[in-house]
This record gives sequence, C-alpha cells and structure tokens, in this order.
Amino acid sequence: MFSEKAKKHADACRFCYMCRHLCPIELVTGKENNTPRAKGLQVSMMERGMKMDKGSAITMYECLLCGACTADCVTGFDPLVFIREARSQAMMNELTPDFAQKVIDKLVETGNPYGATEAKVNYDGIAQEGDTLVWLGNAARYAVSDVAEALFSILKKAGVAFAALKDEPASGCELGDMIGHLEDVRVQAKAAAEAIAKTGAKKVVVLDSHDAAFFMHECKDWGIDLPEIVTATSFVLDLIKEGKIAPAKKAEVVSYHDAARLSRDLTEMEPAREIIAAMGADLHEVYLNEKDNKNPENKACGSFVRARECGSSIMGQMKPELSVMLCEARYGDLLRTDSRIMIAADPQATEALRRSIPEGVEYRDLFVMLNDRI
Amino acid sequence: MELKAFMPGMILDELADAVGGYENVSMEMSDRATYGVDYFWVGRMWQDRGEVPPMPDWIVRPGATEEVSKIMKIANYYKIPVHIWGGGSGSQGGALPMSGGILMDMKRMSKLIEIDEVSRTITAEAGMIFQQLEWYANEKGYSCQHIPSCLTCGTIGGALGHRGIGIMSTKYGKIDDQCLSMEVVLPNGDIINTLPVPKHAAGPDLNQIFIGSEGTLGVITKATFKLFEQPEDRQFRAFLFPDMNSGYMAGRDIMQKVKPSILRFFDEAETVSIIKKILGFEKQGCFMNLAIEGIKRIVDIEMEIILEIVEKWGGQDLGSDYGEKWFENRITFFYPGHIMDIPQMFGTMDTVATYANIEKIYRAMKKVINEKFPYVRYISHSSHWYEWGCMNYTRFIVDPKDVPQDPEAARRLHNEIWNAGVRAAMENGGVINDHHGIGLKLSRLMKEQYGPAMQVMEALKKQLDPNGIMNPYKLGL
Repeated sequence: MFSEKAKKHADACRFCYMCRHLCPIELVTGKENNTPRAKGLQVSMMERGMKMDKGSAITMYECLLCGACTADCVTGFDPLVFIREARSQAMMNELTPDFAQKVIDKLVETGNPYGATEAKVNYDGIAQEGDTLVWLGNAARYAVSDVAEALFSILKKAGVAFAALKDEPASGCELGDMIGHLEDVRVQAKAAAEAIAKTGAKKVVVLDSHDAAFFMHECKDWGIDLPEIVTATSFVLDLIKEGKIAPAKKAEVVSYHDAARLSRDLTEMEPAREIIAAMGADLHEVYLNEKDNKNPENKACGSFVRARECGSSIMGQMKPELSVMLCEARYGDLLRTDSRIMIAADPQATEALRRSIPEGVEYRDLFVMLNDRI
Repeated sequence: MELKAFMPGMILDELADAVGGYENVSMEMSDRATYGVDYFWVGRMWQDRGEVPPMPDWIVRPGATEEVSKIMKIANYYKIPVHIWGGGSGSQGGALPMSGGILMDMKRMSKLIEIDEVSRTITAEAGMIFQQLEWYANEKGYSCQHIPSCLTCGTIGGALGHRGIGIMSTKYGKIDDQCLSMEVVLPNGDIINTLPVPKHAAGPDLNQIFIGSEGTLGVITKATFKLFEQPEDRQFRAFLFPDMNSGYMAGRDIMQKVKPSILRFFDEAETVSIIKKILGFEKQGCFMNLAIEGIKRIVDIEMEIILEIVEKWGGQDLGSDYGEKWFENRITFFYPGHIMDIPQMFGTMDTVATYANIEKIYRAMKKVINEKFPYVRYISHSSHWYEWGCMNYTRFIVDPKDVPQDPEAARRLHNEIWNAGVRAAMENGGVINDHHGIGLKLSRLMKEQYGPAMQVMEALKKQLDPNGIMNPYKLGL
C-alpha cells in the first residue's frame, strides 16, 4: 500500500512526540490527529490492517506541508513523505474529502486552485520570450495580482529585460501537494518545463516559493530540465546591491514572516531581511524567528525552522475557516512584539496574511512595499 | 445491512452541543485508534504487533472550562468513563482509554491567560504544550524552569497530572513546587479554584490533592506557575567518581551547601553505554555532570565549594566540555534512532529514597533483575536531588532477540520485570515512582506501596467521583 520509504518514516514517527509543538495546524485546532506522530501512527496502523476511513483522509489534508516537523527532526525523518502518500491513497480509495476534491478538480481543469480561467495580472507590454523569465505562480496570478505587478514594476525600474508568460501553466506543485507526487503531477511539471523552454529563458525568476522549491527539488529529482532557477527575493536583492534600484529609506519598526518553503525548503532567510534593511526599517523579529546565534547550524534549537506557517493558497480554498485561524495565530505572534507591521515575501503568504488583519496592524507584501519606495 | 444502535449518536449530539459543534467531537475509527497509544511500552508493542488498541467511544475537544463542566455533567448522567488526554506522551499509560467511553482531548484549551511581571507568575489553560508556555515566559525574559524531556510534547495538565519534573528540578523544584494555583473541574461538573497562593494556614493545600491525581479526581483546566529570572551565568562541570557510594555522598554534601540546577550521576553501566555514545567518553567509573547557575559572583563561589567536596570524595575533575556537550545534545537523545524503541523492550523504573537507602535500592534492584532476567541490561542514573535524598532513574533494556513475539507473552514478561524491580525498591525504602507517575503501568502496585494509607485516597475518590467514571484502572483507584 505505502512505499517502503513512507513506511520507514511512519514507523519512526508513530511513537515520537518531539515536533508536535511546532505544527501550526495542531496549535490552532488542538486535535491529536493533527500531530505528525498521529498521522504516522495512522499510516502505521493502515499498514497493519486498519482500513483508511473518511476521518483518516481528512486528517491527512489538515496539513500545510510546511515542514516544521521535518526541519525539527534531528534524525532526519520526514512526515511529509507519508502524508503525501496517504493523500494518494485517499484518492485511490475514493476517500478524498469533498473539500479537497473540489480543489483537485479545479487544479486539473484550470491549473489553479481557484478554478479561475483568466489571470488578474496586467501583462500589457510584457514580453513572452527572453533570457530572463519571471514565473509568478497561481497566487500572484489569480489572488494577489498587485504583488505580481509590483515585481514587474520593480524590474522595469531596474532596467531588467524580462518576459512573463501570459498563459503561464501550472507548475505541478499544487497538484503534487494535493494528490502526492503521482504521474499526473509529473505531466504538469513537464508541461511547465516545456512552456519555459519555449521562451528561450536562461534564467527563471520565481516569485512563488512553493514553485521555486518544486522546480529546484522535485523537478530536479525527476530529471526535468529547467534553466537556472532563482527566487525573486534573491534576484531583487542583487538589483539593489548592483545599484540598479535604490529604495527610499524610512525608519520604522517592522517584523517579517518567513514563508515556510522559502525559509525551510530553500533555506533562504537573509535576502528579504536585507531588502527590508535597505529600506531603512528596523526589523524586530517575531520571537521564534530569532536565530540561535551560538549555533546557527543547529536546526532543532535554531529558530527559522520554528517559524509558524500562516497558510497557503490550497488550504485557503480547502478550509477557509482554518486558514483564518492560522492567519490570526501568526498575527498573535506579531502582537507579542513591539512591531505592528508584518511583512512577507511570498504571494501565498500575502494571500494568507490578508485574510484577517487585526485592528491596528498593517500587512505589507515585500515587493509591493519596495516598489512604492523606488 | 449494518445494524447500528442510535444511542451512541444521541450522546455524540449532546457532546457536540456542549463543545460548540461537531467539529470538536468524533466517533471515527481512525480518530479513536489514535488515542490508543501513548509512550507506554505495552501500548506501543500492542500497536506494533497489529493488535486492536484501547479506544474511546467518543472523542470530545472542549475549548473552555465551562465546556469541560458540561461534558462532566453529561458523563455523570450516563455514567460514562472519562479519560483526559493532553499530549499523550506519558510513559505509564495514564491517558490510555482502557475502559472506552469519553476521551477529552484538552489541547484546544491552550490560551495564555496572564503574565504577571510584578508577582513573577504565568497563567495558562491546561491544554497548552509546556514548550509554548516556556516560550511565552522566555519572550519576557523569564523561564518557568520546568524543562523535562517531554517539554515539546507534554501539556501543562499532563505535567501536573502525573507530578512531573524537569532537568532543572534540583534548583527550581518539581512541578508541584512550581505550581501556585489551579482551576479544576470536579467530576460533578463544579468548577473550583485552589487558593491564590500555596503557602498558607488555611488547611491542606488543595493543589497537592489534584497534582498527581492523573485525571482520577477531576480535570485541571488552568494553572499558575512561578516565573524565574533567566540566570546570569550557568557553569557546567563533569566529574568521575571511583564508585557509586562516593558519588552519592558527594551529591549529598553538594546539596547541603549549594543548589545545582542540574546534577546527574551515572552508574558504571550507564557511563559506558550512554555517555560513551553521546560524549565519546571512554574512562571507567561513575560519571557526574552538574550545572550551577544564577548570579555569576555567587556561581563562582559555589563552584569552588563543589570542587572541594568532589576532591574530598575522590572525584576527578573532567572540566566543563562534557556538561556543555550534554546540555546541547540533551534533546537529541529523545528523537527516533537515538532513543530506545520497539522492537526492544525497555522501561524506566524511577524511584526516590533517602541517602541512607538509595545505594541499597540501586543494588537490590540490580540484583533481582540480574538474577531473574539475566538477559536484561540494567543501567541507572540519578538526576533529581534533594537535601535528604535523591532518585534513581533506572532503565532496563531487553534486546529484540529476547523479546517474545507473542504480544501476550511480551506483555507478561514486561510486567514481571516491573513487578520484580519496583518491589525491590519498595522493600528497601524506595517509593514506587519518582516522576513518571503511576498510570496503568504501576496501578496494581499502589496498594502495596501505601498499605492502609490507600484508604485516604480511596475516600477522596469515592467522595469526588462517586460513579467512578474518572480515568478508571489508573493510580490504583
């Protein structure tokens, strides 16, 4: 039923309790099933004869795949391996919960989790071919188009010649999150790679960190050829360092949310912080963002790995109420600092953190903020 | 056609009504099975062998004290057993729903209520994972100084329920020293508060009735704890003693003069098997690792005093590197691949006694285990110390080749080893358990421990829980 790899990880996690304090969904729902150990235990029980049921399938979808548990494990076990496979099993057993199936259907039919047929982004004057391709991802194209347009504007102001696909296909990342890394996902990923290849791009600047991580990790593992992939934050920071853009500075206290796939999967924490510093802001870290200065390599006791994920596009579509709870919990972290400005540098984080902004708090997308300063 | 009674559903409806909707209740098989395994070896082995785990009939997740009260009234009306579940990380099977009924998962009740910086206290709901409480304290520059190995997984209620302890206990106390007051829902649904402070002359301390009661007398819903200033300085030092006696006596003398936060003393077997693995340490003897902390000027003087005591008892000074390394790796040990796990059989027979008895207990337990179960490895360390005595954290380990595959035979062997070891401790002046609790694992031995004194606890149980619905089969009640 499950792969040997999934079984190995599930059997290791089934009796382990070490990472449950970091699961953002467990923390807001308080459900035992929303702990990595409970999910591992359920997979382990299924391997020993228990049938997957509706409740178990729901459990497997109440997960952001944010990797807090994985990053915390000093042994290297990865609950995401068996959670993704359990989602595949749910689909094969026709147990996918309705709230998830609706999103899967939209991803298959339209390539995005919203079921939208037309992007909200203004592509006027944007080339469709070129050495540098900007890859936006679904959240920026359909939910937070101001972020995409801010990035376009920044690049234009910096004099960067770039292309962006008006008909950008799905990367396969979100479908992979929904059904596990099955062949259908590889088909989507290959189609995305072909669309990228047709632009003649030598470099792809990826705005959505979910897609960036997917291109750099899964696609690479599957042998799918892609040009050089860089995150938008890294690319934009280089523009500042090269003097191509010079943001106006303003002294103010801000905090920064580390989007999980940017900080954990891509281990990229500094570029966004350097961009914030370039705008003159004083970054006061949300408590669990603080580095373990004594031992920065110590993931378990280090701290970016502990950052609480705030949601994702697909969770927003699957479980809007849960997404609001996640958003509110993240702002709860902010409200315990002396900052009332939260910044993030990922469109899915922006989508999530705009769901429920507390009174007296301001949310800023990093690219929108930067564009306003240049 | 599947025949199905509708009464369970009627009760589910009542429970859902009590906790704000069906999102917070469940009767799904997979949900129920999840609660059938905690850290207790028998439960883990049972799952590993593919056996049916103990399961509740209803899972209910209250979000407020008033909801707990409503659940208790429903349970009492129907006389349904109630099991309280926090992190489910107990090693004694204390949270396992052995008699079915309702399982109350407390983790929705995880709000921070107050940090009182004037009084240096922190108050939170009992379903909060203790690490979260500690982080809230840390944010303000304080610590609760309750740092157990289950810090990241156990809840506040769980720590109180089984009378837990952290690695800093020798200086900062056990959970029963650190808790100032509590809110408790009694089995009849009444909500009570213990007195605002624990030191008074207004009769017995109600806190100490409910702390350690393992969910048999009520449901702890809120608690207030001491906050400590973070220490200005923490110094580690490791020593090697020639034998157990010199180490115990040095520990006693240290406790008479200074209060280390950490004091861990290992027998020769554990020095070899664990310290070598983690620290690369190869010398023979009995290893001691300690930390003292606080204001640096005082810590410097305390260290001088400790060095004098260690020299008196023939200890060898190994410097600070070992202690620092242990401290950095103290959590690593508890992750999969580092800690003992199935298919091994293992257990921790922690006991506590006076200095006059503690070495005698160590030897008596070792003797009985070695004689009755020669294939069992026996290791021990002492990690929590007092002015009058200390505890032994004794572990037995059975290698997979000696663990019966038949789950019934495996359970029987497990319980025989426990009976032999714990009885040896009790017969020599030790207490049945130091800080893991009683749960299901040791429940059968409680009457042997207490003798006629058990009637005091039985009377409390009878008065507070006349229907006997609270966590049946646990704590010998």
